[in-house]
Parts: sequence; C-alpha cells; structure tokens
Amino acid sequence: MSEIRLLINGKQVTGQQGDSVLDVCIANGVDLPTLCHYKGLTDVGACRLCLVEIEKERNFVPACTHPARDGQVVTTSNEKLEKYRRLILELLFTERNHLCAYCVASGDCELQSLAYKYQMDNARYQYAWPTQVTDSSNPFIVLDHNRCILCGRCIRTCDEITGAHALDFGKRGWKTNVCADINQPLGESSCISCGGCFQACPTGAIFSKASAYRGKPEECTTVESTCAICGVGCEIKGLVKNNRVVRIDSADMTRPRGLLCEMGRFEPLYDSADRVTTPLKRNSKGQLAGCSYEEAFAAIAKKFDASDSVSGLASGKASSEALKAFAELMDKIGSKLVDTLDGDDYRTISQGIAKFDGKAGLDIEARLEDILTADCIVVIGAHPTKSHPVIGSYIMRAASKNKAQLIVLDPLRNPFTFRASVWLKPPEGKKGLAVKALGKAIIDHGLPKAAGDKSKFSADFKNVDVKKASQDLGIDVHDITKAAQILAESRNSIIIYGSGILAYKDADLVATILNLAALVGDKPRVISLKRYGNSRGAWELGLGNPRAPVASDLAKGKAKGLYLLLADDLTESQVLADSLKGVEFTVVQASYLSPVTARADIVLPSMLWTESKGSYTTIDGLSKKTAPMVKAHTDIKTDADTLKEVARCLKK
Amino acid sequence: MAKVKVATVWLESCAGCHMSFLDVDEFIIDLVNLVEFRRSPITDIKDFTPVTVGIVEGSVGNEEEKEVIEALRHNCQILMALGDCACFGGVCAMRNTFNKEDVLKRAYIDTPSTYQGKIPLSPGVPALLDKVYPANQIVKVDCYVPGCPPEPEAIKYGLTELLAGRIPVVPSNIMRFD
Repeated sequence: MSEIRLLINGKQVTGQQGDSVLDVCIANGVDLPTLCHYKGLTDVGACRLCLVEIEKERNFVPACTHPARDGQVVTTSNEKLEKYRRLILELLFTERNHLCAYCVASGDCELQSLAYKYQMDNARYQYAWPTQVTDSSNPFIVLDHNRCILCGRCIRTCDEITGAHALDFGKRGWKTNVCADINQPLGESSCISCGGCFQACPTGAIFSKASAYRGKPEECTTVESTCAICGVGCEIKGLVKNNRVVRIDSADMTRPRGLLCEMGRFEPLYDSADRVTTPLKRNSKGQLAGCSYEEAFAAIAKKFDASDSVSGLASGKASSEALKAFAELMDKIGSKLVDTLDGDDYRTISQGIAKFDGKAGLDIEARLEDILTADCIVVIGAHPTKSHPVIGSYIMRAASKNKAQLIVLDPLRNPFTFRASVWLKPPEGKKGLAVKALGKAIIDHGLPKAAGDKSKFSADFKNVDVKKASQDLGIDVHDITKAAQILAESRNSIIIYGSGILAYKDADLVATILNLAALVGDKPRVISLKRYGNSRGAWELGLGNPRAPVASDLAKGKAKGLYLLLADDLTESQVLADSLKGVEFTVVQASYLSPVTARADIVLPSMLWTESKGSYTTIDGLSKKTAPMVKAHTDIKTDADTLKEVARCLKK
Repeated sequence: MAKVKVATVWLESCAGCHMSFLDVDEFIIDLVNLVEFRRSPITDIKDFTPVTVGIVEGSVGNEEEKEVIEALRHNCQILMALGDCACFGGVCAMRNTFNKEDVLKRAYIDTPSTYQGKIPLSPGVPALLDKVYPANQIVKVDCYVPGCPPEPEAIKYGLTELLAGRIPVVPSNIMRFD
C-alpha cells in the first residue's frame, strides 16, 4: 500500500492507493453528504450526493466510486455542486412518499437530515405518487416501498454482511423496487430476519415493528453490551427509553462479532413471558405463594442441611459469576451430583476430544472467525441458521465472498444445502458411517505430501469400503469422492457440527470428526455448536458432570433434594418438569414462570441477561461481558448474590 | 410607518399551522403593532382586499381551495407557504396514491359506520381535484416555512425576515418536517 497525496478543497491530504475519493475525504474529516454509502459495504454510486469536481475530469464524479489518485485536485463544494445536491434531494422527495409527518423514521432519517441541511423548504418538481405496497408479512420487519430511495444499502447488507442475499432489486427503470427472492412477500422469502437491513436503511423504508414509535434515538440512552443468547457473543448497542429496550442495534456491523441475528436483535424486545418477581414458597395447601427471601432461605437451609443427597443442575444460560457461585454452593452442600442441563453434550464433546488427543481440551476447537477465511466448510448435523444464526451468516458469507466450497452432511434440508457443492444425505443414524466413508475417500484420493505423517488420524478410517458404504448409505459414490476431493485439495477447511451429532451421545463419532479434520489440515479445525449462551463457561467451571447425567438420576428418584439454576432459560420443557416428580425438595432459581417452576417447592427470582452485569464464554472460548440495559424489578437480586446468600444460610 | 397588510388562508389542513402561529407568545404583541390582519381565519374577514403579504396554510385539494389560493395570489405581493401541507402536500396528500373515485367511495360509501351512503354531487359542495397539490404547483410561491406544524421559532423567523424586507429561508437548525 503506497501513500498518495491529493489536494482537497485547497488542502493537502494523504490517502492510500486503492482508496476512493470518499475514503480519503472521510479519513481527513472532509464533510461530504452521502446516502447510499454505508461503512463496510461496497460503494455503488447510487444516490449521487457525493458528487465532486476533480480537475481534468470531464464531469462531476461520485466520490464513493471514483478511485483516488496521486495529484488529484478535488473540490467537494461549490455553488454548482450544492445546487445539484439540492436538486437531487428534491427529486428524491418527489419520487415516492417522503412526507415526514407520518413517517416512523422522522427524527432518525438521513434523507430528512440532509433536507434540513440543504434548507430544502419546497420541492420544485411534480410528485410522482406511484402506487407502492407495504410489506408487513415478516414478523419483525416492515418493508414500506413508499419510503424507499433505492440506495441499495439493505441489499448490500443482506448480501455482504449477513450473507443471506434475500433482498435485491426487482423490475426495471422507473418500476425498480427492492424485492425479496423472486418478488415474494418478505415473510415467505429466504429472509432470516436478522434486521441488518433495518439498521442500514437511511429512511423509514425498512423498520422494526417492535421499535416503531417507541422512542427516537435522541430520546434514548445507549448501552453497549454483548448478546448472551446463543454463545457467539455479538456486540450490541441497546437503545433504552423508560426502562424498556426499544431497539437493539449492532455496535458496528463491519466487526466480526458485529452482525446480529433475529434472536439478538428482536428477542429482548418481544419479552412477554410471566416473570418470577419475588421468592415463592409452597404453602400448607400445596400452592406456591410469595414469601420473603429470609423465609425462602431458611426453608432451603432446613431441608438441605438435613439431606445427604442434594443434586445441582445449572443452565448454560446463567452468567459465569452465577455459575461460579453455584459451584461454590454445591461445594458447601457437599454434593457430588452436579451437572449442566446440556451435560450430555459436554460428555460427548470432551470425551470425543480426549479420544482424539488425550492431552487436548475444549481449546482444541477453532475460532468462529476462522469460518470467514475458510476455503472449505463442512457442516455435519447442524442447523446453525436456526440455532446460531450468526454462524450461519459466517458460512453463507464465506461461501459467497470467498467462494468457499460447502459440503453439507445432513439428512435434513437447511439454508446451506442449495448452496453446497456437495450435499451428502445419509439416513438418520448413519452419519458416523458417512463421515468414515468421506475420510476413507480422502485417503484414497491421496493426501498432499507436505501434510506430513497422518497415519495416526487415518487409522480410524482404514476398515471402511467406500463403495459398500455408499450402497449402505444410499449416497452416490461420486458425491462422496467429489466431497473428498474438495476437502483433500482445500488448504483451509473447517468442520462445524451440532445437535444432529451430539444427539447420538457418541464420543467416538466426535473423535472421528476430529480425525477427519486432522487428515486435511495441519491442525484439526472443528467447531461444535453448544446449546446455550454460556455452555462453555459452565463446562470450564467444571459444572459439566464428567461421568453420568444427573438429570436421569432425578427421574429415577435417586436425589432427595435438587437446586436447579435456570436463570433466564425459558425451559418450557415438560421433560425436565416431569423429571422433578421423584425429587422430594426442589429449589428453582429462574426468571420466568414455567412448568418447571410450577413443580418447585421454592422458587427464587433471577435476572435476565439484559438486566445484569455478567461474563459469558462464547462457543470458541472468548470471554464477553454484558452490561445492564434495563433495571430489574427491585425485589430481584443478581443470581450470584442469591446463591451466595443461600450458601451463607447453610449450616453445613 | 403604515402597518403591513397581511392576509392568511386556511385550505386543506388541520389549522395546526395557525395554532402554531399563535404559539409565538409575546412576539404577537410586537407583531400587532407592525401588521394589520385582513382576511384570515383569525379575523373571520371573508373578502379579499389587496395586501402585501399572503400566507397560505394547507394544500389544494378541491375547486374552492384552488379558487381561494388563486384569489390570494392575485391580491398579495408576496406569498408565503406555511406548513408541510402548503409546502409539500402533507398529510392530505396521502390520498394521492389512490385515484379520486376510490377515495370518494371509501369516504362516503365503504366506511363501516356508513349506512346507504352516497357521494355528494350537489354544486354547493366543491368538487375534488384529481390530486392534492402543494401551493407551489398551483400558483407562484415566494417563500416557505415548512413543519407539521412549523416551529413557532420558524414562523417568527419567517415573519421577521419579511418585515425586514428580505425573503426568508428557514435555517437548518429550526427547520422541521414533522
């Protein structure tokens, strides 16, 4: 990168080779109006507001798409340019319906701000008044074509940042419109409702149903935090008014953990489940009734002090601080039966890693950012677009931007299957054989010599006959060899597996996947999709039981007492509730009333992640911190405080 | 100095702009010493006489409004459009994405509370124009104070500038479209 020197408005400035004129202006603090430019997106020169005059150029040129060159003499503002800008604004205002008085974006609209700036007090052109529709078929987002200026920011965000490319321009010329897929209603399209388009929209053309008219940004306080829902750990910016989160934006969509998904952007806005606001205790009539913390703690101490078999179960949705306090409490009780709700996943993953390499731990797994740079991605038994949508976006982005080859090994269709180079569909229950056949086919294809000795990893695949396996699996043998060829020739492959593999509780299968990854890479690059926002944090604190699931003991009635830390896990799971039947005395610490709390003897309230400060460990082991966006009900303490006080009340 | 003669008209709009004008507080006392209101919804004078400044609130959506704004233009030297409806079309222009017949049918026949409705055809009821227009698409307009309603500050600015003999352009910091 070499430095270039330009003269902008008579001032000597510097830029880098490859910058656009607009890049240089932004870097040097030269003010230039823009509408279709958005940080991190490819510039297209759609709005023409950034027109500048460059000496020796025949016409005015848009700064955003014009490459900066050494020695250019640029004028960003003169009478003629300003006249044109105002003219462009008037044309934009008269093209569709841009009357601010009844627009949801008024006060937070880039078009409006520019009109104020250019003192546009009237429009000299005839209004076109085209008949446009408003598409509210998506549950979260409304697409109002009347307010659209066709800047294409939503389309580029959908493609370049989210990777979904559900939006694009449809029709031609005067009738051009933003449309989803093949002009379908947004709610029926391949849109994944990540809300990126809504954040990128400069006008009121795309808005969120839950945020509309709840507060303009200027009336809100902004809180920077981390989303704790799924374990990707995306950086968020919450806009809060009257102790209510009215909008969640990405802090910076260009950063790797800056894209958001449907869950992070909208879930906290739609929170309507009934909360536990005070401690509850089962009274003499057998009903749960409100009580003081002291009463609840005394009742817990009385039972737990007298009992010698108390189990502990924690959800991976709780913060690390809460989980640490939970571990200490269990230690004080002297319980050996402690587990997380996703303890089965823990045992499968950790034992699988141990079988692959006795010295390795969860650290062996790859970083999520590695997906973005991979040239081959294998998705085995996972549906990240549903469980971890941002990981789904990473995969789709790698496939579209880096032309990464995608191999899907799953009997079920998911959003990647149609983009995949190969889609292997093993029958349910035979994924292990399919992985082995793939590994054998890679060995048969031949490993690159530079890869070194791989005999340790190839042993796992030795006894497989690819042809016979393909018949057993009902997969065309050519598909297997094609996938093997892609993998063997990739330099930077990554394997992602999830619930579809973990459901088998088969550590050998996990070890086989690691062996497959080790065959084709200098180190095995694998990511397992963990179920909860802080699953890995809980496991690293030693809460995952290394041997047996505690939940099954409960069903058998082995445990006399149970402390269940649910936190903001809205487990409507009847299975978990039913397993509590055999337990004599159950304490549930939860944010929401659910079938599980209905079975409890004592219920203690718990804060949501949006209400408390906490640490969460992402899927790939990064520690992220949340900040409270809203205040919880005054009677609700933080999980860690409640757990510590319970421990203090115990005599043990 | 003789008082400046001002006429204001209220066309297709909610009267909010005239209300906002009354919100200029004590400035109204200074103003009364400087201007004389002729035809205006405030004075309730109904006939036009030649004035220096004409102020129009509201958009033009029917034959009568068109006649009124043309008469005002004919009788004033400087015409000011006050508020979003006069400047851009405003809320009234919402009907422009539908055709006139559909709008009339919706208003007089289809509304759920209407029983055996019919579209009024009496010559006493002004006929709708095909579209709702901002003032500058019917007559020449000299200056604009947008807003729904305009900020009292912006109205004050507009009138002060006019009285000082200048054509006002509302500064960015007090300009509002909502």
